[in-house]
Amino acid sequence: MLSYIIRRTLYVIPVVFGVALITFLLFNVVGWNAASQMLGKRATPEEIAALEKQLGLSGPLPEQFLHYLKQIVTFDFGRSFATQQKISTLILDGVLPSLSLAVPIFLIDLVVAIVVALLAAYYRNTWVDRAIVVGAVMGMSVSTLVYILAGQYLLAYEWELFPIWGFESVKFLVLPVVIGFISGLGSGVRFYRTVVLDEMYQDYVRTAFAKGHTERSVLFKHVLKNAMIPILTSVVLSIPFLYTGNLLLENFFGIPGLGYLSVEAIFSTDYPVIKAVVFVGSVMYVFASLLTDICYALVDPRIKLR
Amino acid sequence: MSLRRALVVWLALGATIARGADSASATQTYFGSTERIRGFDPITAGDVPTAAAIYKLYEGLLEYEYLVRPYKVRPLLAAEMPQVSADGLTYTFKIKPGVRFHDNPCFPDGQGRELTAADFVYSWKRLADVRNKSTGYWVFEGRIVGLDEFHKKSMEQAVSYDEPVAGVQALDRYTFQVRLTEPYPQLLWILTMDYTFAVPREAVERYGEEFLNNPVGTGPFLVKKWKRSYRIEFARNPRYHGDTYPSEGEPGDREAGLLDDAGQPLPLLDSIVQYVISDDSTEWLMFLSGRLAASGIARSNFDAVITGQKELTSALKARGIRLEKSPLMDTTYLGFNMEDPVVGPNQKLRQALCCAIDVEKYCRFYNDRLMPAKGPIPPKVAGYDPDKPFPYPFDLERAKQLLTEAGYPDGKDPKTGRRLQLTLETGSAADPEARQANELIASFFAALGVELKISPNNWPEFLKKMERRQVQLYQLIWRIDYPDAENFLMLFYSKNASPGPNHANYSNPEFDRLYEQIRTMQDSPERTAIYRRMADIVVEDAPWIFMTHPLAYGLYQPWLKNFKSHDFPYPNVKFYKVDPTQMRN
Repeated sequence: MLSYIIRRTLYVIPVVFGVALITFLLFNVVGWNAASQMLGKRATPEEIAALEKQLGLSGPLPEQFLHYLKQIVTFDFGRSFATQQKISTLILDGVLPSLSLAVPIFLIDLVVAIVVALLAAYYRNTWVDRAIVVGAVMGMSVSTLVYILAGQYLLAYEWELFPIWGFESVKFLVLPVVIGFISGLGSGVRFYRTVVLDEMYQDYVRTAFAKGHTERSVLFKHVLKNAMIPILTSVVLSIPFLYTGNLLLENFFGIPGLGYLSVEAIFSTDYPVIKAVVFVGSVMYVFASLLTDICYALVDPRIKLR
Repeated sequence: MSLRRALVVWLALGATIARGADSASATQTYFGSTERIRGFDPITAGDVPTAAAIYKLYEGLLEYEYLVRPYKVRPLLAAEMPQVSADGLTYTFKIKPGVRFHDNPCFPDGQGRELTAADFVYSWKRLADVRNKSTGYWVFEGRIVGLDEFHKKSMEQAVSYDEPVAGVQALDRYTFQVRLTEPYPQLLWILTMDYTFAVPREAVERYGEEFLNNPVGTGPFLVKKWKRSYRIEFARNPRYHGDTYPSEGEPGDREAGLLDDAGQPLPLLDSIVQYVISDDSTEWLMFLSGRLAASGIARSNFDAVITGQKELTSALKARGIRLEKSPLMDTTYLGFNMEDPVVGPNQKLRQALCCAIDVEKYCRFYNDRLMPAKGPIPPKVAGYDPDKPFPYPFDLERAKQLLTEAGYPDGKDPKTGRRLQLTLETGSAADPEARQANELIASFFAALGVELKISPNNWPEFLKKMERRQVQLYQLIWRIDYPDAENFLMLFYSKNASPGPNHANYSNPEFDRLYEQIRTMQDSPERTAIYRRMADIVVEDAPWIFMTHPLAYGLYQPWLKNFKSHDFPYPNVKFYKVDPTQMRN
């Protein structure tokens, strides 16, 4: 197992290098002139040229790429064009707010969606199953924006059950978490229900029933275990997206996370920030894939890591 | 991690966040801003939210009178108005003694030291050093003896701030002298701008690039807490230098209670929180719930808030909410690139397009929060003439006639038989409201038989196209820097052509001659007459389609006192106060 992990970790290096190269080419070759953006609209060409030289932006591309690799290794992505703030600080500042919103939504959604999916599978082809499916589809069909606006207006403003906006204590997170949970539940239920039902029609399930196991025993002891592979894939590959934050919820509820940071950077064409967020997100995705493979071996003894 | 443990961690995290926002005192006042700030360095402040933060912390030699109109300046860190030499080239300022910088570890004993004339010498050289990425050197460019040389040298090598510059000198501890290369009539306005504010050298040298996160000024407030992209909490500077509430205002100010606090030491608020609320609807709910002291009105919300008579709805009036309306000193326009082979040489075509714009309809799209422009100079600025008729008002028949005279009968090019197609570059790709407004403009051109293609860009890309003169038509708003028509007329001076601010690349020898004449003229009826003449020239030449001047609509809570609309409002929060009893109700 250890040798597998080390080997896979080493495989990650060329992938990360490739990600670095692509992000570099995207943003350094196509990107906007940093010096011009920093100096504002009244800057003269001479001022822009002087600052480019100072920032190392006038050198050849290989030299700039080496500088970028150094930034990656030291987790020092330089400064934002738009705000002059250190990008590593901006990312670190944004991670905690993003996670404080995204993790509870993710965990509650996961647990509730699996429980409801098992319930639907248990009562498959009955009115309970149909009601769950209809409810899930309805939930998915309503835009998150509707939940946000209705939640802010009715629950927060009119009924004063929650704060309207802000990030100052746990109570400020309750409404966005509830909205995030409700808006994401439908798709989760549908996915996990499909996964569980797929397993329900496998031969080993029929065998288990033939041996006299109860429905409950089959569902929890056999089906759930075997459904873990797709569930794990979905769960672990979702983890990197927790870091990138929830754009709409952060924006409307004033949660200063990475979703908000990314949107601001896109609107202000702040390429170094976008580049850093994209790179860190890509690397997290690569490592999440690695983690998924390792988890497979832990939950499914048929899978051997070589 | 068990679910229970995860919940405990989440609650602990929440508690940590809560500690960051403790102690909401009775006089803590909240304001919203739609954008985050760029940091607290005065020389890089170029946007509204950053300026709003900077002016609370830093100060310059002069500031605008708060209540008096027309605008005039008064001493702030200067002890008195400057002595000006007879030739208008030397300004000598006495610095107010006893003014201290905020306490900060950058000073030997952590106690803010006294401000001196040398701080202005240092701060202005710092503004001129291109390595500091200042967005504001233009305020002194070509104006101060020796400063341009210092600026140019900084482009090639690191410069020493100990190197003397003849035009900025500390004659003694409290005497600061500025020597100009030519008379600079706008200098006193310029000295109210944040680019010229005093910063202590100790702080800049201690914090280096992090100076923008460690403000050390002389201003009425200190930064107590700052969470980037979320909130800044300012606390009253307990050692503020004794500036007091003004005792002079306009007629009506006393009756409105605006002089009740005359002579009171500033600031009047204990604590201010500046939030970053990026969504209009959220800001509106925060305001309605009484959390925010002030709010704008989103276009989508306008009809629910303002009646057909442009007054506040009775429901909001009953809550005591105040509406303040005021024309802004800004001009929105569509510029023609005069180097473009189609629109540049064809004055009749440009005039035809001017006549095709139904400005009244355009204003209605924006809930009539705009007023039609008659030229480049906005209201309230010397040179603006409200009674003068605009020579190219909306008139479709006349537009068609002019278009025919321009060589495009029915909007078609007789040589090719094809419809005339023009391209409008905009820098508002992300703004759906601006996109709708541009479609409206395209429909005005379509009525004339001209096809207008809208080319949305992100802002930097838009600037790049203008700087490279790659536009045909472009859309911009010019926000005034100081209340002098020169600030608008310089946009037509041929030596300011792109990449300078004259993005129309307009050139008219007569206009240039007049501009060079007024450049060094002090305010006078003669100068105002020349401003009007210059405005007439550009209206006739039509390098721009003059669109509108915006009207500001602001809403204010009944408990916010001493508020008066101002075109340069950034430092004015120090004059505001709240009625805590009314606030709690």
